[in-house]
Amino acid sequence: MSNEVVPSSVRELLADIFEISPEQVTQELSMDTLDTWDSFRHLQVILALEGQYGVQFDPQRIPELTSVALLQAELEKKGATL
Amino acid sequence: MQSDVERQELRRGIQDAVARKDAAGAVRFARRLLAAAGKHADVMFCATAFAGIGDALRQQLGAQRLKTYMVRSVTVEPILPFLTVEAVMANYVLELQVGGYGSYADELLSSYSSLAQFQPDLVLIILDQEEIAGRLPDLCANGIGSAVEEEIEECVARVAQLLRGYRSGSAARILFQGLVIPEFTSLGDVGEANLPHSLTNAVQKLNQRIAALCGTITDCVFFDADRIAAHRGRARWRDARMFYASRLAVASDMFRDYSGGLVRTFSTLFRAPRKVLCTDLDNTLWGGVLGEDGPDGIATGSAFPGNCYLAYQKYLKQLSCRGILLAIVSKNNEGDVREAFHVRVADLAVGLDSFVARRINWNEKAESIRELAQELSFGLDSFVFVDDSPEECESIRQQLPEVAVVEAPVLEPWKLVEVLSEQPFFDAAMVTEEDVHRSDEYKAQARRAELAGSAGSRDEFLDSLGIVCSFQSALQAPLSRAVQLLAKTNQFNLTTRRRSAAEVEEFASMTGGQAVVVRVRDRFGDAGVVGLALAHMQEDSCAIDSLLLSCRVIGRGIETALLAYVGEHALHAGAKRLIGEFIATKKNAPCATYYSDHGFTRFIPSYKSSSDSVFYELDLTASLPTYPKWITVEGNESYEQ
Repeated sequence: MSNEVVPSSVRELLADIFEISPEQVTQELSMDTLDTWDSFRHLQVILALEGQYGVQFDPQRIPELTSVALLQAELEKKGATL
Repeated sequence: MQSDVERQELRRGIQDAVARKDAAGAVRFARRLLAAAGKHADVMFCATAFAGIGDALRQQLGAQRLKTYMVRSVTVEPILPFLTVEAVMANYVLELQVGGYGSYADELLSSYSSLAQFQPDLVLIILDQEEIAGRLPDLCANGIGSAVEEEIEECVARVAQLLRGYRSGSAARILFQGLVIPEFTSLGDVGEANLPHSLTNAVQKLNQRIAALCGTITDCVFFDADRIAAHRGRARWRDARMFYASRLAVASDMFRDYSGGLVRTFSTLFRAPRKVLCTDLDNTLWGGVLGEDGPDGIATGSAFPGNCYLAYQKYLKQLSCRGILLAIVSKNNEGDVREAFHVRVADLAVGLDSFVARRINWNEKAESIRELAQELSFGLDSFVFVDDSPEECESIRQQLPEVAVVEAPVLEPWKLVEVLSEQPFFDAAMVTEEDVHRSDEYKAQARRAELAGSAGSRDEFLDSLGIVCSFQSALQAPLSRAVQLLAKTNQFNLTTRRRSAAEVEEFASMTGGQAVVVRVRDRFGDAGVVGLALAHMQEDSCAIDSLLLSCRVIGRGIETALLAYVGEHALHAGAKRLIGEFIATKKNAPCATYYSDHGFTRFIPSYKSSSDSVFYELDLTASLPTYPKWITVEGNESYEQ
């Protein structure tokens, strides 16, 4: 998959939090493949996405959203305009 | 609202500034980026950027580096970038370490804990209600519970044990976070308000007790998280979903306010408040322009909009009650101003005599403030300038960057008090007796200056003042005053070491050590505790670690008397030699020749020391500094010759 499918606003937000460049943010990027994606940054990502898109994630789903693809799908499910 | 284009530009500005290690530039752009929305990602971006220029922040902006340890029972990690950024905005560079969730007691009380090993400058203790007062909600459930008072006592005792236990082994500054009054209790809003032992009442009382406790522990400040929560709305303070799921005690859109509150609170442990407020008159102290509207036309008094200005005047008067000096800096005719204060006396909360100094003329305001700094013996960094004119404000910002500038909202005068109180520069966790009497002391100073003008010689003048120096152990005098002097004295300060209260106590308790303060009074008034010296024995020598004097008493021989006292006691403790040390700073030139003026000679010590230090020695067996003849010495009975 190309990084075109990750909307630039999501890419930039994740890049800021993981301290990587926006180009490195692809749908495949996940907790398993990125060292800086630890549980605290995960929480940070969740809070930042919620603030940015005005949504609230279900706490039980939060630990499962461990890749960019999953986060993006959940955001879309919540009706966020990416 | 910023557009994304603007945001990207500001981010690029930060990145470029970081790349060329331009700390001021990075902070300036960050301030603008975060001013509007303060999005999570922007804060993270700034935190990462600042992490790369820690050294530049310290070297170029004089930011203070603080090794900071967070003792906590809740999740704080997502808040850390916010805390880092707020700290940089207040000119601190935090080096943060976070403790374990359940190990707070062990961390505070064990000398082998990760906290003890970290050797922090600052400890933030952030515990949730469950840890501090876990039983209170049940005991308060019926609102009349008889065991509530007892439980509060026990909670306070537990906190005291933690704080005192930690203090006994460390000199780090401590911030203790108070409880936030819980929302959504079983008693409901009406019950909470009306029943004597409701949880609301209990938590309020507990907070008050813990705050009082913090006041009894050296270098410890209470952080009233509830005040900030109430300010923003308690119902929105906590996101229950995130608290239960992740132990995050503060909702994410409150991170900035929360971090700002933490920084503003711990800042009082490291910085002295500013001391002088210079206010403009037209459209600031009163509404309208005196020169055009005349004394009867200016707005002040009980009717709108005059009451907005009256509120500002009352606020100023309250500030002066705790030692903040008021001054007028106004472009006006002095005669007109006198007339206005006379004619409108019933409509004004302040009189001309509320101001310790005035510059009412047509000179440049920057020049007037410089003169006031000279006259009042305060550095420009102790000054606050309030004016409605954007041009005047900008001119001061550029010419006197040390001065804090507050622009009075001329179209919304009701906001002036709010704008002023949002600024942290008058924050103080304690108020000393000296603070309360400061205004009077400055009026006495003016009378002294008059006498100096009429007396013949300098000695004659000093003799006529009838100066009495009273020496005390720093432990007998209010210790808070000694620490306040250490924190704020810049000009007459030989080494500028910002010793903490705990360190002062250490000097006092060492064998042959000295921690002495001097209190000064004369026929015009009591200046209070104005000087301090810390010394310790090094083999057969007594080394002066710190010696300082409030600049408003310099030039009256007090500095000589203080040295004479220290020398006398050193000799008594068996010292053969007195060692003085001078570390030059940007501000302490007035005392550069202090030791050589008192017969000391320069020497290079054999032991290792910081390269900035210049050392002086005096052979006590050959000569002893003597007290000036115009000074009467008290508190020295045991060694009088």
